[in-house]
Amino acid sequence: MSNYTMKRLRLDRVASQLLAAPTSPAARLSRPSRISRSIPQTCRHSSLYNTQPCQRRHQSTAAPQAPREEELVLEPEDGEPIPETLRSGPLPSPHPSRAASSAKLAALHARLSLSSKIPVETLARALVDPSADAHPKYNNANLAYVGSTVLHYHASETLIARYPRLPMAILFTAMKGYAGNPALHQVARAWGVESAAAPGEEVDPGLLQFDPMKPTVVMNKWGYVRAETIESQKFKSGKGLSGRVMYSSNPFGESSAAKALPNFEVDDGRNTKTMLLQNAPANAHANFVRAVIGAVHMHCGRDAAKSFVKSHFLSRTFDLSKLFEFDLPTRELARLCARENFEAPVARLESETGRLSRTPVFVVGIYSGRDKLGEAPGPDLDSARVAASINALKAWYLYSPGQVSVPSDTFAEDAAPWKPAYVDIGEIIS
Amino acid sequence: MEARPVLRQLTTLFNSCSRTGQTRLQSSTRRTKKALKLPPHPSFLVSGAEADHITYNPRFLPPSDPRRQAQLSSLLRSSTGLAPTAAATNSTTTTDREIPALEEKHQVPVPKFNVTREQVAEMRALRAADPTKWSVVRLAEKFECSKLFVMICCKASAEHQVRERERKEAIKARWGPIRSQAREDRKKRRTLLLRGEL
Amino acid sequence: MTIRALEKISVGQNGIGSFILQCKRLDIHYCDHSGSSRGMNAFIKTHLSKFAQKNPAIEFAVSPRPRKHPVMIGHYINGRQKSICVANMEPSQILKKAELLRDASGDKVKRVNKPVTSINESVRGIWSPYHGNGMAV
Repeated sequence: MSNYTMKRLRLDRVASQLLAAPTSPAARLSRPSRISRSIPQTCRHSSLYNTQPCQRRHQSTAAPQAPREEELVLEPEDGEPIPETLRSGPLPSPHPSRAASSAKLAALHARLSLSSKIPVETLARALVDPSADAHPKYNNANLAYVGSTVLHYHASETLIARYPRLPMAILFTAMKGYAGNPALHQVARAWGVESAAAPGEEVDPGLLQFDPMKPTVVMNKWGYVRAETIESQKFKSGKGLSGRVMYSSNPFGESSAAKALPNFEVDDGRNTKTMLLQNAPANAHANFVRAVIGAVHMHCGRDAAKSFVKSHFLSRTFDLSKLFEFDLPTRELARLCARENFEAPVARLESETGRLSRTPVFVVGIYSGRDKLGEAPGPDLDSARVAASINALKAWYLYSPGQVSVPSDTFAEDAAPWKPAYVDIGEIIS
Repeated sequence: MEARPVLRQLTTLFNSCSRTGQTRLQSSTRRTKKALKLPPHPSFLVSGAEADHITYNPRFLPPSDPRRQAQLSSLLRSSTGLAPTAAATNSTTTTDREIPALEEKHQVPVPKFNVTREQVAEMRALRAADPTKWSVVRLAEKFECSKLFVMICCKASAEHQVRERERKEAIKARWGPIRSQAREDRKKRRTLLLRGEL
Repeated sequence: MTIRALEKISVGQNGIGSFILQCKRLDIHYCDHSGSSRGMNAFIKTHLSKFAQKNPAIEFAVSPRPRKHPVMIGHYINGRQKSICVANMEPSQILKKAELLRDASGDKVKRVNKPVTSINESVRGIWSPYHGNGMAV
């Protein structure tokens, strides 16, 4: 009986997973290393080996020398661990071989109902933030980049196909509500991920490891970044909405460099410059979540990644009608009616009570000809009219064709041919 | 002092009397809920709740939407302005209800385009000569146009603007705490209204 | 461009889209010598490995606690703990308690007296006294 001293009972399960996973460390690491090699080819402007270009938008000039230097630093290409004699100090993060014996990691794997195709070593790697281990082969930056592109792709196609008339500002915010750092931080906490007090070789591989005082990677790359972006930020242009559409590098319409804190040098050889994030735990948790999506995509394929994103992120409740803040709703509605060749909107009093009392209620409907566009109650005539036009505008902007198919549905083998989705001509300009 | 036991006896007597009359006390949650369970108000059943919903508006459906085809008959009737038939008025759809009338003073003003170029020049001259006498309201009355049009045409001199601002600030300075607070609250309510949070 | 956006975060509800077991860790404490731990020791020998195999999403930690009653402590995703003293219980009773800890959400036990609790907007809408033809009283 006494040999049960703090022994974890997950060994049998872990062992079966090890059988499924590649056995030699070289083979185990081969997949992730393929990710890291394939990415810089597709997007030359950003190297993920370098931990900072995701924050800093550099052109392709400075990027490629970083990986070469890095491959020489710690580990040879085949991923064999360095012999103890050659090691100078403790590793920055737990060795991948320890992943198989971590009960926390196995439990997390099972809790997320991940496929057995995803080895626990990959999950362990997803838990290492670049601030804990700067080496790109041992942190989650590459996986998180893959995951973020998968997540942003599915979120944006769902939003655009389902709500074709959303204004750009609302679309940006909706993307952030589904796939931004705060939302992903909440997802990670709902998954029951615990973070280590401090990263290091000795911590359990099942804990999220990050260091708030070290440089990290902010996942806000989003496709192509214009060369003018850095220039435009220098002159503080591009702050309006069209500037955000043109120059923003992330799917949330933000230009992260504009928000960057002043840089300062650190001693770490690989990261010459750093930026302390305002909310490092949220960023680390979000990067872990993205890395899990990336791992699902790399090991189980596109369809599994899509259903994972759908079930964990797009199924979350999000009321888009609560995102709107109007400035001149009555004028905007008049412009809309003029644009769409409706009759000019007219506010009519539907019913009222207590006009001379302290608490009157007026119900005002906005009519275009004989059609009621919107209706709202209010404590005075003007605010009821404004609220009614807000309701009418929301009815316009939140038009949804229902459960329509999205472009990624056509990736399936026996998919029906693509039927073009409804595309709106654009938002109302007043 | 002695009144209390007597009172208690009286109340128990009263309670026992009422119990013999078979009136049950609503002393439990279940009985209270049962007693308060009324049938729904008839207007609840007829009002088209789904038609008032903000995201349902047949007028806003694009031509490609299949729901527009289903709504086509009612849309045609509404767009041509035909009077609803007797059968339609008996039905409970909200589209066939009579729409509320507009009062005379709330009719949408039709732009008249009656001010000529010379009159605009005259208007500007008057406003420049004596902005106090020829206020925006008086100019609008004189030339029979809207106040907005007067404000588009003329711009008061800088000293007149300063004078007006000072006059307004003097008025605001006389406000007591209650009125200033009320104005502040009104601004906050406006912000909440535009966010749809009111 | 008169529209500004208010930042909001999507709300997840466990079981909608995906289900995450809320019990993430089960601590099992026993004593080698005390009589009150006899049932617990038998439970660890006979039932525990099967129970752990059936519930891979839970991390099990077994540790001795000499001269104390046997205890099972469940740790939940919401950060709370739930502990049950299983002194003098039969192994089958302890298994019931372990299942209870596994199935708990970790929240405080609340009285539920509404048939439906929802964050969704009412489909039928809220009754309004300002609409409809009214009712003669």
